[in-house]
This record gives sequence, C-alpha cells and structure tokens, in this order.
Amino acid sequence: MSATTQVQDQPVHMPSRLDEQPGSGIPFGRLASLELRKLTDTRAGRVLILVTVALVVGVGLIGTFSGKTTQDKNLNDFLAFGSAPLQIMLPLLGVLAVTSEWSQRTGLVTFTLEPRRSRVAFAKWAAALVLGVAGVVVAAVSALAFTGLADALRNTDPSWHLSWQVLLGTFLAQLLSMSIGVAFGMLIQNTPGAVVAYLVLPTLWSILGSFSWAEQVAHWADTNRTLEPLYDGTMHGEDWTKLLVSLLIWIALPMIVGIWRMTHSEVKSA
Amino acid sequence: MIEVENLTRRYGQFVAVDDVSFQVHPGTVTGFLGPNGAGKSTCMRMITGLTPPTSGTATVLGKPYAALGNPGRHVGVLLDASAQHNGRTGREILTLGAIMMGLDRRRVDEMLQLVGLTPAESRRRLRNYSLGMRQRLGIAHALLGDPQVLILDEPANGLDPAGIRWMRSLLRGFADEGGTVLLSSHLLHEIEVVADDLVVIGRGKIVASGSKAELMSAAGTTVRSTDDARLANALEVGGFQAAPLAGGGVHTDAEPRVVGQLALDQQIVLVELRAAGTAGLEEMFLQLTAADARDGAAA
Repeated sequence: MSATTQVQDQPVHMPSRLDEQPGSGIPFGRLASLELRKLTDTRAGRVLILVTVALVVGVGLIGTFSGKTTQDKNLNDFLAFGSAPLQIMLPLLGVLAVTSEWSQRTGLVTFTLEPRRSRVAFAKWAAALVLGVAGVVVAAVSALAFTGLADALRNTDPSWHLSWQVLLGTFLAQLLSMSIGVAFGMLIQNTPGAVVAYLVLPTLWSILGSFSWAEQVAHWADTNRTLEPLYDGTMHGEDWTKLLVSLLIWIALPMIVGIWRMTHSEVKSA
Repeated sequence: MIEVENLTRRYGQFVAVDDVSFQVHPGTVTGFLGPNGAGKSTCMRMITGLTPPTSGTATVLGKPYAALGNPGRHVGVLLDASAQHNGRTGREILTLGAIMMGLDRRRVDEMLQLVGLTPAESRRRLRNYSLGMRQRLGIAHALLGDPQVLILDEPANGLDPAGIRWMRSLLRGFADEGGTVLLSSHLLHEIEVVADDLVVIGRGKIVASGSKAELMSAAGTTVRSTDDARLANALEVGGFQAAPLAGGGVHTDAEPRVVGQLALDQQIVLVELRAAGTAGLEEMFLQLTAADARDGAAA
C-alpha cells in the first residue's frame, strides 16, 4: 500500500503522442525496402555481400592474367566468369533473409508488426530479386573493367560485343537462382539446413544426372543444365519447357509449401 | 480493450491453454499471473496472432489481431526481449520497427531516452546487452507506435529494483491516460502494486480472476491474540476456517469485524487484527497453483 503512494509520487516521463494516423496497412514497398535493409544491416549479410564482390573481382583477375591472350578474353567471357560466384553466393542471402526470422527469432517481432505473413514472404522475395539485379550490375561493370584491363596490359584485342540474349539471360538466371534460395529458406526455415540443401541438392542432382539412366531426368530437373542456355543466350524451343519444368520443381514447389508453412506455423520464441 | 473468449490450444494430448476467457479494460492494468509453464505465453501468442488457437477467439480493440492494419500503431507487444537479431544494435532494432510502422526516425531517439538507454549503449550490438537492457529496449519497441494497448510477457525479468519501479510508474501512467495493459508475471509481488485486475492461471486454466481488491478481501484475515488456540477453536465453532500461522497468530476466512466480535464475546485479548491482503493473496496464489499442479483439476 505504501508502495502505491511512492509510485504515484514519482514523476514519470511518458512518451509523446503521435499526430499521424496509423493508416490502414503497411505498403508493400515499405516492407520490401525494409527487408533489403535487414539483409545488409547485419555482419552476416555484409560479409556475404563483400565475399561475393571479392569473388567476382577475383575471378576477373584470374581471367585477366591466366591463359593465352587469345583465350576467353572477350566481354562475354568475363561476364560469364563473374556470374558464377554470383549464382552460388547471392542466393544464400535469399536463404538467410527468410531463415534468420527463425534462427534469430526475429519472427516474433516481424510477424506481430505484420500479421499477414505472406506479405512478409513476398517482400523478402522482392528484396532478394533487387539484390540479384544489383549483383549482375556489379558483375557487368567488373566484366567491362577487366576486359579493358586485359586489353591494356596484355593486348588481348577482345570482342566488346554483348548480345542482349546473354545479358538478359544472365539477369533472368540470377533472379531465378535468388528465387530458389528464398524458396529453400521458406521451406526449411533453418539456416544451416537451408544453406546445405541449397548448395548440395543441385550438385547431387548434377552428379546423378551424369549417370546415363538419370540423364533424361536431369535435362528437365537439373537447374545447372536448364539455366545454362540462359547464360549462353542460346535459349530456344524445348529449352524453355525444360527450364519451366525445372523451375516448377525448384522454385514453385518449395515456395508454395514454404509459404504455406510460414503462414500456418506457430511463431515461438524458443 | 482485449477480449479473450474460450481460448484453447492443444499440442497433441497436452492442453496448454484450456478454455480461457477474460477481458482487459481500457484504463486498467491487468496482471496475468501463473507459475512457469502455466500457459501465459501461449495465451499471449494467441492474442497476438502468432499461435493459431485450437478453438476460441481473441480480439484486440474489437478486432482479431491480424485484422489490425499496421498493428504496431495500435498494440505494443513485448513477448521475448531476447528474440532479436544478436548482431543488430539497439538503435537499428528500433529503427527497423519505426520504418515498418511508418514513423519519423526521431521517435527512435525519443524512445531510447524514455527507457534510459544512452546513445553509446544504443550503438552496441544486442549480444552485448544485459537482460535488463534488453527489456528496456523491448519496452521502447512496444511503445514506438504510440499504441492504445500494451501486451507484455514478463517484462520485469532482469530489471533491477529501480527498473521495476520505473516500469510500474510507466504502466500506471499509460493506463491512467486510458491505455489498456496486459502484463504477465510468475511473481505476484512483482505486479500486485501496479495491477488493478488479476487473472491467475495454472495448468492452462483460469483459477481466479477479478479486481485486486476483490481477490484481496477473499484472502481472509490475519489475527494474533494472547490465546491463539482458543481463538482458533472459537472461530471453528463459529463455522469459519482457522489455520495457525508459522510465526504465531491465526489465519481465517472470517472478516476482521467478525473476528473482533468473536474475540470480544470470548474475552480473548487481540494484539493484531488485519485483512490478510497481499500476503494472503500470495498464499492463495501458491495454494491455487500448487493444488492445480498436483491434481490438475482446479476450481
């Protein structure tokens, strides 16, 4: 009882009231840009991005100084070099964007601030796609620089021709890889599990596909194979169908199951 | 306003929350009390839409939580102060919340100041925060969007005595301005000072609820006399329960006036006579929840 009076005697500083109206909901653009910020405001995210950029530059350097001066020194080639680490590394950020909500338990806050969880899921996807586009832009700039550097230092006399099919294909393939990462994150919800699955499963597929009996399946289900003509700019006819089938398996299916899991599962702190 | 109706959550055979109903009114602080594992957190997760209930409904401000567009501007929630990215700074965590709710960034500084986190502390990563600092940050996060309702799960955990007193004052002020507060704890004395209403839960079921005054008067009377044995006997003859207290004296369910009259009739000299109040409430809380823990079937 005496404690009550003490509490009342003590002046409390209260938060000021806000003038703005709450609004009816959170705009999707705000959610997406927030997810992009969340990808880059932690050490894990920054390190992954830095390592990816370092690898893109690293393969550029290797490409510049290795081999004969006539061998793989065109702009096309340097873009292909740079795309390889992008395709492996950047989708891991897509994985992390989703799984950190569980492994770092931030989902408790995220989903109380936006209870419509599928919107959070799509915002994460959108953020990963933006990151993918940025990655290809970095790879393209790096390819231009190293093509020029190789020419200046080693007189490689490169071809500067870059067909729109290759450029567009590189963007598209990167976006699809990002999507696979996000889909795996949603499906597995656990950082180590999803990272391992993302890195190992497609490789397992490729190994399996090298056996003759699985070869036919691999043409349709191995994204390493179905994405290849996209990077090369040689997509035609059946390649599209094969790509579509492989994407159904590696993006659509895990994404649908993953979003279902995300919207229906319980979000707990421990 | 928070309304919980017949809320039930099962995990297989285990019933974590069993047909729980209560209301939290504007202008009041409601203490949600129960031992560890009683179902408090599960209940709060169901109110905030994180855990789908097996059956029953919960509404906040008249709507299911998920139907509140931009809920951070209506309801401040703190369920686990440690459930934040360890690698983010306190300031970054609040900034993310402010962006999501569409608030001016200056709100972040105001909240940091309000909860007493210094600019230097706000730039440290969460992994370097003590539990008390995390709770302060969590309270800042809950208050960011200027909500009308606060839902706080064990916010006093890890706070030092000064911090607990500060939090009580804050919640009292918040409720006095018309806010609605639901505050859980497993320690009665932590919230009895600030709570207007109490909801006591044990093994998923509500074992007592009502205003603190009601529950306290139901807690009985403590009396000391020069002859406790004779007094206890007289009380029992009068149809009341009477139990000797460890340090001398008797606890009874009779009102103080009745005990005084009885002592006068019996010519027993009283040395102390008072409503058992909070001590009795603590005793009752222990009994209710202990009995419940033993046989799982509570009143």
